[in-house]
Amino acid sequence: MRAARTAYPLTWRIMDALEAFAAAVWPARFDRAIPWLMLAPALLLVGLLVLGLIQIADTSLRTLDTSTFLMSEEYTLANYNRALTESLFATVAMRSLVGSLIVTVITLILAFPYAYMMVRTSSAILRKLLLIALFLPFFIGQVVRAYGWLIILGNQGIVNEAFGLIGIEPLRLLYNYPAVLFGLVQYMLPFAVLMAAPALTAISEELELAAGSLGADWVRTFAYIVLPLARPGLIGAGIVVLTLSLTDFAMPAILGGGSQDFIANAIYDQFFRTSDQGLGSTLALLLVAIGSLLVGLLFTLFGAGTLAMNKVRR
Amino acid sequence: MTDKLLTARLTRRRVLQGASALGAVGFSSLSLPRAFAQEPAKPRELIVRAWGGSWVDSLKAGVSDPFTAETGIAIRHDLTEDNEIQPKIWAAVAQGRTPPIHVNWDTTVNATKSALRSVTEDLSDLPNLQNTTELAKPVGLDGYPIVNTYGYVYVLAYRPGAFPDGPPTSWKVLLEPRFKGRIALYNDGIGFHFPAQVAGGGKLEDIPDNMQAAWDFIAEVKKQQPLLGEDPDFTTWFQKGEIDVACTISTNAREAQKNGIDIAWVVPEEGAKFDTDGLWVPKGLPENELYWAKQYVNFALSKEAQQVWLDGLGLPGVVPGLEPPADLADDPAYPTTGEDFNKLIRISSKVQVENESDWFAKFKAIMQG
Repeated sequence: MRAARTAYPLTWRIMDALEAFAAAVWPARFDRAIPWLMLAPALLLVGLLVLGLIQIADTSLRTLDTSTFLMSEEYTLANYNRALTESLFATVAMRSLVGSLIVTVITLILAFPYAYMMVRTSSAILRKLLLIALFLPFFIGQVVRAYGWLIILGNQGIVNEAFGLIGIEPLRLLYNYPAVLFGLVQYMLPFAVLMAAPALTAISEELELAAGSLGADWVRTFAYIVLPLARPGLIGAGIVVLTLSLTDFAMPAILGGGSQDFIANAIYDQFFRTSDQGLGSTLALLLVAIGSLLVGLLFTLFGAGTLAMNKVRR
Repeated sequence: MTDKLLTARLTRRRVLQGASALGAVGFSSLSLPRAFAQEPAKPRELIVRAWGGSWVDSLKAGVSDPFTAETGIAIRHDLTEDNEIQPKIWAAVAQGRTPPIHVNWDTTVNATKSALRSVTEDLSDLPNLQNTTELAKPVGLDGYPIVNTYGYVYVLAYRPGAFPDGPPTSWKVLLEPRFKGRIALYNDGIGFHFPAQVAGGGKLEDIPDNMQAAWDFIAEVKKQQPLLGEDPDFTTWFQKGEIDVACTISTNAREAQKNGIDIAWVVPEEGAKFDTDGLWVPKGLPENELYWAKQYVNFALSKEAQQVWLDGLGLPGVVPGLEPPADLADDPAYPTTGEDFNKLIRISSKVQVENESDWFAKFKAIMQG
C-alpha cells in the first residue's frame, strides 16, 4: 500500500516541487550548456577586449592628415614603418623592456623571503604585521605612492636632509632611470608576494624537515625542495610583475623627470599630444605583441604546466 | 553649496527685477543678434573646460561668476586637461552625440586642430568681437572658429639666488655647467623651439623648413640633463629647490612668486615665444545651449570681464584700454606696444599645427636618447 503524500515531511515536498520547477525551466538535456553559461561573463569581457583590439588595429592602419586632423580612408602600413624605424620608439621600447626585466628579477628576489617568512613564521603577531604591511600599499594609489617618493627622495627630502647631517651635499636621487625602477619595484612587491605566498603555503613543511633529517643543509633544501615546488608561484608572480611593469605609465612619468619614458608614455603622447591616434594605436598593438611574446616565451621555457593548472593535487 | 547660494540669489533677483530688467542692467554686453524670436531657454548650467589653480580662479572671478550673476546660468568648470578633452569632443561630434562641454578654454594651437577638423562652431556673430584687437582673430583660419582671448609669453624664469651677478640675458645660460640637472623645459618642448632656433644661430625665417639650429641647441641643452614637465611641475621644482632656470609661461612664474617662491623672469635677447589661448564652442550642442555657450564667450570678450580675468593671469587681453596689473607695468612679458612685440617671437598657429607632430618627435628623440 502506498503511503499518503502527507506522510512525507513538508521539507521533502518543498524540495520535490523545486526540483520539478527546475526540471521544467532547465531540462536535463541542457546540462551540457552549464559550463558555457559559467564562462559567459568571461567570454563577454574577452569579446569586448577583442572588439577593442580590432578597432585599434583598424586605426593603426590609418594615418593622420594634418590639414583636416582626420584619419585617412585608405589603409597603409606607414605607422608601423615609423614605429619600427624611428630611433625614439626603439629607445623607449628597449628602456621599457630592460626596465621591466630588471624590476621583475629584483621584485622576485625581494618577494620570496617576505612570502616565505609570512607563510612559515610561527608568530601570529609577525604574520599579521607582514600581512598589514603587504596590504597597506593597496589602499594607496600608485600616483600617491610616486609622489611620496618625490617628497622622500627630493633635493630637500628626508634622505638628502639626513645626508646633510653627515656633511654630504644633496644628491639627485630622482628623475632618472634608477628612480623609475626603484618606484616600480616598490609598487610591484605586494603583487609578487601575493602571487608567491599560495605556492609556498602548498609546500608541506614536513618535506623541508625530511630533507633536513636526511642531511641537507638549508641551502640544499632551498635549492632542491623549496624553489622547485615554489616555481608555479614564482612564474605567476614574474608574469604579473613583468607585464605590469612593461605597461606602466605613472612611475616613468612622475619619477622619470620626463626623460625616462616607457612605451605607455609614448602611446599617451601620440593620442593626446600630437592627436595621432593611428600611431598611438600602432604602438599600443606593438606593446600588446611584446607582452604576449614575453609571456609566451616564459611558458615555452618553463612548460605549459608552469602555473600547475594541469596538475591534480593529491 | 555654491550652486545653492547662486540659485537662491538669482531666484530672488528674478522675483525682484524680472527678466526684462536684467537685460536693461547688463545684457548689452551679452546679447547676440536675434536669431531667435524669443530668448532660448536657459540651461541650468554650462560646462566650461579650464586649467586648474590660478587659471580657473581667474576665469571664475572675471568671467564665470559675473556671467552667472547676469544670466542665472551656473558655470561648472571641467578641469580635464586640454589634450585629453580633445579626443572626447572629436569622438562625440563624429558620433553625433552631445559633446561633454559647452565651452573649451584651449591653446590656440590645439583649438586650431579642432577647427581644421570642423568640430568648432563659428563665432563670427559675437557682438563683442567688434571691440577687439587683431589678436582675437585666429591666423590662417576663415572666420572665427576660435576666439583668441589673450596672449602669453614663454619666459626664462630663474631663481635670483642662482644669479648673484644679475639676471640672465640669454637662453645660452642654459648651457652653463653650473646648471647641469637644474633646468626645466616643457615635456613636449613647447615654447622653446623658436628661441632655440635663434640661440642656436639660425633664423626665424627658416621656420619650419630648416630648424637644424634649434635641434643642435636643444641637443646641447640635453647634455645638461634638463627636467621635463608640465606647469604644476615647474612650481613644485622651483619650490623644492630642484631647478634654477626654466622656460615657462610668465603666469606660472608670477603665481609662484605670489606664493612666496624666490623666482623672477626675463625675456632674453634672442626673444621669447608669444602665443595665444582662446575659447571655442563644440558642434553638436542643443540649440539653446549653443546660444548660451556663445553668450559666455561673448561675455568673456567684454572689457570688464577681460580686466578681472587677465589681471588674475597677468596677461595682455584682446580688448583695447585694459590696465596692466601694477606689478607687470613695463614688463616685457606683458607686451602692450609694438616695441614690446618686436622682442617676441610669433609663429602662426597654422604653421605650428602642421609641423607640431614632427617637432614633437624630434624634441622627444633628443630628450629620450
